[in-house]
Amino acid sequence: MSRQERFDAAVALERPDRVPVMPLMTAFAPRSQEITQGEAWRDPEKGFKAMLDTFNDLGGFDRLYKPNLFWPMIGGRFCSSPVRVLIPGRQLPEDALNQIDEKELFSRDDYDKLAALGWNAFWDEHYEKMSGGRPLERVISAQNRLLDEYIRETEIYHSQDIHPLFGAYVDSSIMAFSMARTLTQFTMDLYEVPDKVKAAMDASCDDLIQNALDVVSKTKIPLVFIVLERGSGFYYRPDIFEQFEWPYLQRYVDAFLSEGLTPWFHFDTDWSLNLPYLTQLPKGKCVCDLDGMTDIFKAKEVLGGHMCISGDVPASLLTLGTPEDVREYCQRLIDEVGRDGGFFLTTGCECPIDAKFENVKMMIDVAKTYNGSK
Amino acid sequence: MREVDKMEELKRAFLDMKRQEVLDLVKKEIESGTELLDILKACRGAMEEVGKRFETGEFFLSELIYSAEVFKAVSAILEPGLVSTREDEDSKGVVVFGTPKGDIHDLGKNIVITMMRSQGFTVHDLGVDVPPEVFIKELERTEASILALSALITPAFVSMKEAVSLLEEKGMRDNTFVIIGGGVTTDFARKEIGADAQTLDPTEAVRLCKEYGERRS
Repeated sequence: MSRQERFDAAVALERPDRVPVMPLMTAFAPRSQEITQGEAWRDPEKGFKAMLDTFNDLGGFDRLYKPNLFWPMIGGRFCSSPVRVLIPGRQLPEDALNQIDEKELFSRDDYDKLAALGWNAFWDEHYEKMSGGRPLERVISAQNRLLDEYIRETEIYHSQDIHPLFGAYVDSSIMAFSMARTLTQFTMDLYEVPDKVKAAMDASCDDLIQNALDVVSKTKIPLVFIVLERGSGFYYRPDIFEQFEWPYLQRYVDAFLSEGLTPWFHFDTDWSLNLPYLTQLPKGKCVCDLDGMTDIFKAKEVLGGHMCISGDVPASLLTLGTPEDVREYCQRLIDEVGRDGGFFLTTGCECPIDAKFENVKMMIDVAKTYNGSK
Repeated sequence: MREVDKMEELKRAFLDMKRQEVLDLVKKEIESGTELLDILKACRGAMEEVGKRFETGEFFLSELIYSAEVFKAVSAILEPGLVSTREDEDSKGVVVFGTPKGDIHDLGKNIVITMMRSQGFTVHDLGVDVPPEVFIKELERTEASILALSALITPAFVSMKEAVSLLEEKGMRDNTFVIIGGGVTTDFARKEIGADAQTLDPTEAVRLCKEYGERRS
C-alpha cells in the first residue's frame, strides 16, 4: 500500500497492510538536527530543512504533521483566537519551546459586539486595539507570506511522496472563545452570562468554518485539523458541552464533509465523557486523535467500528522512557486499538521537544514491523 | 436569621455558583459584626464541599475553577482584617509551589493553590519558570515540608529531576513530600523524576498533601 492508501484505509476503518504512523512533530525536528529553536523560527528555510531531514532520519512515515513550524493561515482572517505566541530567541530563550501567552483578548462586554458582527468583522474592528496597536495590515501580510510558504513547501513534500497532514486548522467553538477570554474568565462567563456567550458563538460559527474552507482552497489538502481541548468533560459537565460545543462541532463536520474534507478532531485532555456523542457522526469519515489523557483503550470500545482513532504515545514515555518501554506501549496500542483496523499510531499531542530520538524511531519502526499478536 | 442559618446560606450560594450573592452575603456579615474568622471558616467549609462533590463526580473542573475564583474574591475582602487574628497553628501545612524552569503555564497551579489555601494550607507561590535551586532556597527559608511542581510541557521534567536531586544533596529529601501534577505528568514520569506523588486532579492533590501531613504528625 502507498502512504496515501494506508492513511485512507485507516480513516475508512479498513485494515491497511500495517498501522499508519506519524509523530506530531514540530519543535522536535530542529532539536534533533542540532539547531536552536530560535534559528528555525527566524529562518523558515532552516525550519523546513530540519523537518525534512528529521523525517528522513527517522526512516519516513505516513503523514507529516506540519511542513514547518507555522500553521497555514489566510490573510486577514483567524481560524483560532489570535493569541500571542512567544517565540524562541525573541520573547523566550534561544532554544526554548514556543509557548502561548494566554491573556484576555476581549472583555465580557464584547460578547454583544461579537453577536452583532460575527467573528471576522469583530476582529477586523478589534484586532489592533487588542494587540496593543499592531496594524491589521501587517498581520495580513505576514499571514499571506506564511500561507505561500506552506503551499510551496507542501508541493516540495508531495514531489517526494511526503504528505503534510492538514489543509487547514480551526479552533472548536469553546476553544476559540476560551483562548480569547482565558479559561478562568470564560468559565465565569458560562455561569454568569451564558446567553451572551451563546449568541456570540452562534454569530461566529459560520465565519470560523468559512475561514478554514478558504485556507483549504489554497493548500488543497483535504483535511481540517480541529483543535479541541477546552470543551471536554475534563472541564465541563455534559450539558455545557451540549450547548456550547457539540452543535457547532456538528456544523463543522457537516460543512467539511460536504466539501469532501476529513475532519480530524485533535482532542487534548480527557474526552471520555464526550466520546459517545461522536457515534452520531457519519461512520468512517472522521478521526478521533487522543493525547493520552483520554483512555484510548476505552475509546476503542466506544468508537471501534465507527471512527478511526489516532494516538497516543505519551510525551513522558518519549522523553523519559527507553526504546523498550516505547516498543511495549506501541505494540499494545496496535494489538488493542489497532485490532480490526481504524487506527493511526501517533504521539499523544505533539512529539515533545526533548523526546529521545531513539524512542521516536522505535515508535515508527514498531508500526512498520509489528502486525499484531494475532 | 440565626448565625448558623446565615452561614448555611453563604455555603449554598457558593455551591450554586453565585459569585455576587456570596460577596453580598460576606459584606453583610462583616457589617453586622460577624467574626471574620467565622466567615472564612464557612467559606472554607463550602470549598471543602466543592472538593467532595468534585471527587464524587457531581462537580466538574469548571465548578472548581469558578468557586476558586469566588474564594479568592472573598479572601481579598477578609484578608486585611484577618492578618492579626490568624494563627500559624491553624495551618494544615506549608507548601512551596511553582511551575519549573522551561514552562510558563500556571493555570492548573493557580487552581490547586486556591484549593489548598481554602483548605488551610500556607502556600508560597513562586510563579512560573522557576529554577530548581530557587525551590530549594524557598523550602529552606519557609521550612515547608511539601514541594509541589506543576507542568504542561516536558522540558519541565529536567527541572523537576534537578530539584529532587538537590533535595537529596542537601539531605532534605526524607523530610520533603514532592508532588507533581499537570497535563504532561504521568505515574511513569513520577517514578523517573523520583517524586512521591502525581495527580491531574486538584482535589486529590489537596488530599494527598493532607494525608502526608497526618502521617508526619
